[in-house]
Amino acid sequence: MNAPPIANTGAVGQRIPRLEVQEKVLGQALYVDDMVRPRMLHGAILGSPIPHGRIRSWDKSRALALPGVKAVIVGPELAPHHLGAFIKDELALVREKVLYVGDPVAAVAAVDLATARTALTLIDIEYADLPAVFDVEEAQKADAPLLHENFEKYVKVFPAEYSGRNVLSISTIAEGNVDAAWAECDVIVEGVYESPAQAHAYIETNGALAEFDAAGKVTVWSCTQSVFKVQAAVSEALGISMAKVRAIATRIGGGFGGKAEPSAQIIAVALARETGRPVKLILSRDEEFTMMRMRHPAKVRVKTGAKKDGTLVAREFDATYDAGAYADDSPGVMGFGMLMARGPYRVPHLKCVGRAVYTNKIRTGAFRGFGNPQTALASEANLDDLAAKLGIDPLDLRLKNAMKPGDTWAGGQKVDACGLIECLEKLRKASDWDRRRKAPAASQPGKRRGVGVACLAHISGVLATSAIVRVLEDGSFSLNTGAVDIGQGSDTTLAQICAATLKVPIERVNLVNPDTDASPYNWGTGASRVTYTVGRAVVQAAVSAGEQLKQRASMILECAASDLELREGGLVGLKGVPGKELPYGALVGFSHYVAGGPIIGTSALMFDGPGFDPKRALLRGVPFSNLGAYVFGAQAVEVEVDEVTGKVDVIEVWSAHDVGKAINPQSVEGQIQGGVVQGIGYALTEDVVWDGGRVVNPSFMDYKIPGSLDVPYAIHPIIVEHPEASGPFGAKGVGEPGLVGVGPAIRNAIAAATGVRLSVMPFTPERVWTAMRAG
Amino acid sequence: MADVAYHEPETLERALALLGATEGARCIAGGQTLVAMLNARLVEPAALVSLARIPGLGRIAGEADGTLRIGATATHAVVAESAAIARDFPLIAETARLIAHPPIRAFGTIGGAVAHGDPASDYPAALVASDAVIEIASLEGRRNVPAAAFFVDYLTTALDPGEIVSAVIVPHPPAGARGHFLKFSRVDGDYATLSVAAMLAVRNGTCAHIAVALGAAGPVPVRDREAERALIGKPPTREAIAALAEALAAKSDPVDDVRGSSAYRKGLIPGLVARALAAIAN
Amino acid sequence: MPDVTLTVNGERERLAVDATETLLDALRARLGLNGTKLGCNQGVCGSCTVLIDGTPGRACLTLAASCGGRDIRTIEGSATGGKPSVVQQAFVETGAVQCGYCTPGMILTAEALLKRQRKPSTDDIRHALSGNLCRCSGYAKIVDAVRLASERMPA
Repeated sequence: MNAPPIANTGAVGQRIPRLEVQEKVLGQALYVDDMVRPRMLHGAILGSPIPHGRIRSWDKSRALALPGVKAVIVGPELAPHHLGAFIKDELALVREKVLYVGDPVAAVAAVDLATARTALTLIDIEYADLPAVFDVEEAQKADAPLLHENFEKYVKVFPAEYSGRNVLSISTIAEGNVDAAWAECDVIVEGVYESPAQAHAYIETNGALAEFDAAGKVTVWSCTQSVFKVQAAVSEALGISMAKVRAIATRIGGGFGGKAEPSAQIIAVALARETGRPVKLILSRDEEFTMMRMRHPAKVRVKTGAKKDGTLVAREFDATYDAGAYADDSPGVMGFGMLMARGPYRVPHLKCVGRAVYTNKIRTGAFRGFGNPQTALASEANLDDLAAKLGIDPLDLRLKNAMKPGDTWAGGQKVDACGLIECLEKLRKASDWDRRRKAPAASQPGKRRGVGVACLAHISGVLATSAIVRVLEDGSFSLNTGAVDIGQGSDTTLAQICAATLKVPIERVNLVNPDTDASPYNWGTGASRVTYTVGRAVVQAAVSAGEQLKQRASMILECAASDLELREGGLVGLKGVPGKELPYGALVGFSHYVAGGPIIGTSALMFDGPGFDPKRALLRGVPFSNLGAYVFGAQAVEVEVDEVTGKVDVIEVWSAHDVGKAINPQSVEGQIQGGVVQGIGYALTEDVVWDGGRVVNPSFMDYKIPGSLDVPYAIHPIIVEHPEASGPFGAKGVGEPGLVGVGPAIRNAIAAATGVRLSVMPFTPERVWTAMRAG
Repeated sequence: MADVAYHEPETLERALALLGATEGARCIAGGQTLVAMLNARLVEPAALVSLARIPGLGRIAGEADGTLRIGATATHAVVAESAAIARDFPLIAETARLIAHPPIRAFGTIGGAVAHGDPASDYPAALVASDAVIEIASLEGRRNVPAAAFFVDYLTTALDPGEIVSAVIVPHPPAGARGHFLKFSRVDGDYATLSVAAMLAVRNGTCAHIAVALGAAGPVPVRDREAERALIGKPPTREAIAALAEALAAKSDPVDDVRGSSAYRKGLIPGLVARALAAIAN
Repeated sequence: MPDVTLTVNGERERLAVDATETLLDALRARLGLNGTKLGCNQGVCGSCTVLIDGTPGRACLTLAASCGGRDIRTIEGSATGGKPSVVQQAFVETGAVQCGYCTPGMILTAEALLKRQRKPSTDDIRHALSGNLCRCSGYAKIVDAVRLASERMPA
């Protein structure tokens, strides 16, 4: 069911302040570490000190003897239920083999945090070291240490393809005939690009608070991107019926994908069960860097062939994603990276092969962009190199090959709404591209300026979602979607959509906090999906409530429901007869006391657009068959490079995104700007440094995310609106795209400024300096 | 941490007595480094002796001979914002302004920074280039140690157990000398990847005074007085400065760490020394 | 356990604290003032920012025991009689708040800035906020909020 016509949109398109902003500015917002429960204990997790080894023995006695310690649990005490979003290869606590430094091996609950942490040092675990492997190439060699000896036995929830040592998933996407197509090309450009791990570095670390009631039901409060995933994971890991697990979302201090899969929740529940008391478990900042997950490092080889006028003919991508010790979201991340690799261009011949490989390092998982930034770096850097070889302006090359409405994405899904060309044209104008390309004046001697561009596409969608709209007796509404607002403003956006559909002011919409006891199923917040997917469900549920209101009104006014319409201010009226109308509240009163029963609008949906077309494309080992609506964008960055130090300063950024319809333009701008800055960090300042499998810089002191002086104030979000027919009021998502093209845009700008064409990110001062001197 | 004693003495003598009286006692001023270490359980002192309530210990005064005396508990912010220091001791003022971030500068102290002895921090190189002297207090009295001898190794100073830095004494720069602190770091507020503390006085086109010390270039600030002396009476040409930079690079032994490799840091020295001196060559 | 008497948001408080207890811990655990956040416990992220005698400082690097006689203001002290301060209101309107975790620290730092400098430039604002990390917003709308607040404050 499509969105109602976009005409009278009311709250939609308004820069409405966040619904929860008051509590945040007053310091009253409740994050999980702010919660206190009677007799609450504090939990802490012990991580493995070695990257690979078998556990020989556990001795909890010294820890248990410490005054104030109420429980110590180790792996063998928990049911051997394997978990994993795609491949069930991990346990809540290790039972046999540790696979990375930081792999959780034990947990403690104590009367205070200091005691809990002291107790961790008193747990005696004996390990037998095994040889470890930290590099994806090494890990694939025939004699490499094998991380998952039982890999064949693991349950895989998708038709996985894999072969080779430590390879957990291989995805292949192909169209046309790449091997034959090279012969048609006038020019071929190849390159290999490496991108690093990136830490989510939200200012609030992961944590959970678990409490059992007398009937054996546990409530878990946590900063999660999905209460339903928490409920399922706790149930699965500990063997507790989902009917006895209630997961509630607290206020979240940033997610970015790092709070999408469970972290502290299962262990907090296990400790609460063991002690019979509430347990709060908050990860410390260094544990956040070492125990949970990061973005996949990747190495991507790309080859592009084109005609001498710049028309793209063939592209080939070969990628290896470093999954770390457990699969986590790796099949999805790598598969999605392969799907997006081609870029938003018309390319008749395509072959993308990706593999995800286990290594003895922290597991890697979902992080804003979900595999796309890694291939976007390769794709967009390579296109720039092609433009240089052909002597074509890089922006013109993108324009020449840009997708248009009606084109298909790799795999055959037809894309009806595509504002990419408008994004590029707006970008050209806003950035004064042509002037900046010709004569970049540096701010002082010893510095060089340049501007670079990158295009991007992404998906807004995935998986299942639902919504309930209840009308209350005074004509106000309760909206319940189970969708977690992780700070991106989705609560407000969804309330705007609901209010606009039902023609009431937003103050009349009450948003129910995500709670598995109360909320209908929602896969989670991620994949830039909430505005588009949940928004669609909200429209449908609101329309349904509206139909029921009309139906009640038709009984009172003695007419057909089709003669009635919803009116601004929350009334149902007879079409063409102003003044003949009934307020919603009266209709609800009628429903509750006279006839009809309570008015409840519901909807349940999964993305139902066209999926891949097996006649057009070969797809193997790709863990999804259809996803959602495609979103498009183009980003330009002006940099200044210091010739003495190699330091790259970002001077100005322009980031144009086709969002279909901006439900709340202020939130859209904020997501674009935030994504850009996170992308600047990824490209320039954030460097996870390894010593074998150990993270050497697990702190904000040593791992640097950008501060206010490290990025320009001038980050210009440019909103383009080509309505997405299937989206609520034409809207689709923008949560992730702001980050995706920044790395390659910066890389291309550095090339424009210095002539140096970098291929390893982050482009640290040392790397740039070394490259400038090398050639 | 249970049962750690906390003291706020009101005189330096009382502080010294308390420090000497308890095994494992540590003194604390601004706490901007020590409390982070306490939080991370890197140190577990038996007692904490605060210097923050000792009146006069943070006093900044100009002596009659033009020397600047900065009391140990003077905060970086006060040093950075002092008009007198900016006017007469610009290298010191500029250094203080570049330390970390505003809240750290508001509470961190020169005594704490100096006693910590981290060569990647900002004061050590600036004090060495300024020929500053560190005044050390103990129950036996006071002794002065030139900055160059005070910083002994990575996180190691000339302080003996029971001693406290009581002041930093900076001689008035030679007539016509200008000072500059060039700090190169990955991001704003970070420790330096490499820093250059420079003083230069040019008279009649030749060097009357030159002092250059490098931070984050080894376990202690790196300075080469012989190479500096070779420039006295000579014009500060590009070649002359390059020779000085080369001498400094030869003496440098930077670490490989998250901020950069040893080779990179050494490679930066010529360009950054030249840049620092160019900023004050006129 | 040292005894310390300090003023918090205008109220005199007397606390028995551990010598190594931070002001952050004391505010949150002993006084239930949760607006001041724990982000890194190392003095880098700034989410623990409070005003100590009017100056922004890291509560995670301040020993509670050292705060005797000091005037501490947390985010809970910014509103008066439930009415948001000019800075708080500006943050509400400009979209400067996303996840909200850095917000208390940003607001207090901005309030201290505007007390010292009524009409700061964009660069002055960025410098003042340089010790507060934000992972969500990209800083631009936070700078806008501070500028809006400065325009609205009486001269």
